[in-house]
Amino acid sequence: MFDKSKIGQSFPPFTIEVERGKIRELALAIGDDNPIYQSREAAQAAGYADVPLFPTAPTMFTFWGNTKMGGQLVSLGINVMRILHGEEEYEYLAPINPGDTLTGVMTLVDGKTRQGQGGSSMDILTIEIRYTNQNGQPVLNAREMIVVREEGV
Amino acid sequence: MTTNAQAPAKLYYEDVQVGDALPKLVKPALAHIQLVRYAGASGDFNPLHTDPKFGEMIGIGGIISHGMLIMGFVGQMLSDYVGPTALRKFDVRFRGMTRLDHVITCTGTITEKYEADGEGRIAGKVQAADQDGDVKVSGTFVAALPRRS
Repeated sequence: MFDKSKIGQSFPPFTIEVERGKIRELALAIGDDNPIYQSREAAQAAGYADVPLFPTAPTMFTFWGNTKMGGQLVSLGINVMRILHGEEEYEYLAPINPGDTLTGVMTLVDGKTRQGQGGSSMDILTIEIRYTNQNGQPVLNAREMIVVREEGV
Repeated sequence: MTTNAQAPAKLYYEDVQVGDALPKLVKPALAHIQLVRYAGASGDFNPLHTDPKFGEMIGIGGIISHGMLIMGFVGQMLSDYVGPTALRKFDVRFRGMTRLDHVITCTGTITEKYEADGEGRIAGKVQAADQDGDVKVSGTFVAALPRRS
């Protein structure tokens, strides 16, 4: 069961540089071969300033940018091997371009424990990561809801 | 066609009506190699998605897809429809596990048109379902579209 006293806690900021090659890699892994994700030239030919952010690119900022995330989740009192992903939400506040350096701050914004049958329980946690760019401008809010099943259930 | 540095005019606000269907996207049957590739790209190396032995061990019967890969499929549909820089909000709920050989189809419908922050915006609901119609992901999006005038 997670530690309810941690609700509202933020973790130390992490930074991640937005890279053209990573956007291309993600788009191709998803199976999207739209040329706008392949090169700056193709993106500009389509009217973009540079290679645009793939809609789910923020997931890379979290996994590759916040390398301490696993330990931070453990510190909340949950077993990271029993996490199921419940919801994911992005608010795109301002343009993000290759070469930008983003700073993310992760906060446990909400959490509850739901009791099931036979004494089982699950934790439902909402984590928010707010990103600002190198000019201090808020550019993206990411929120995810995760479900953690108790051991032995 | 006008050219805008941030958002090419692929679709105009005036052209979209509430109730319109988004062009659907049918993905190839899910292959193990795609999960390995997606793990590397996204940075999510949870063995649940890459190691069949781990999936057997925890009792889910083999590997399951990253939910975020399926959200990515929906993202591809939205990218094709409005272009990535038009998106203002995109959220999904993960409702079912996607397994190898599942064929995912993404669909969507426009639910609202309105003005906000000086922009013409459209909102819609989206989903991804397998070949049997089982919904894996459902969600909503908001996008800003240019006007013809």
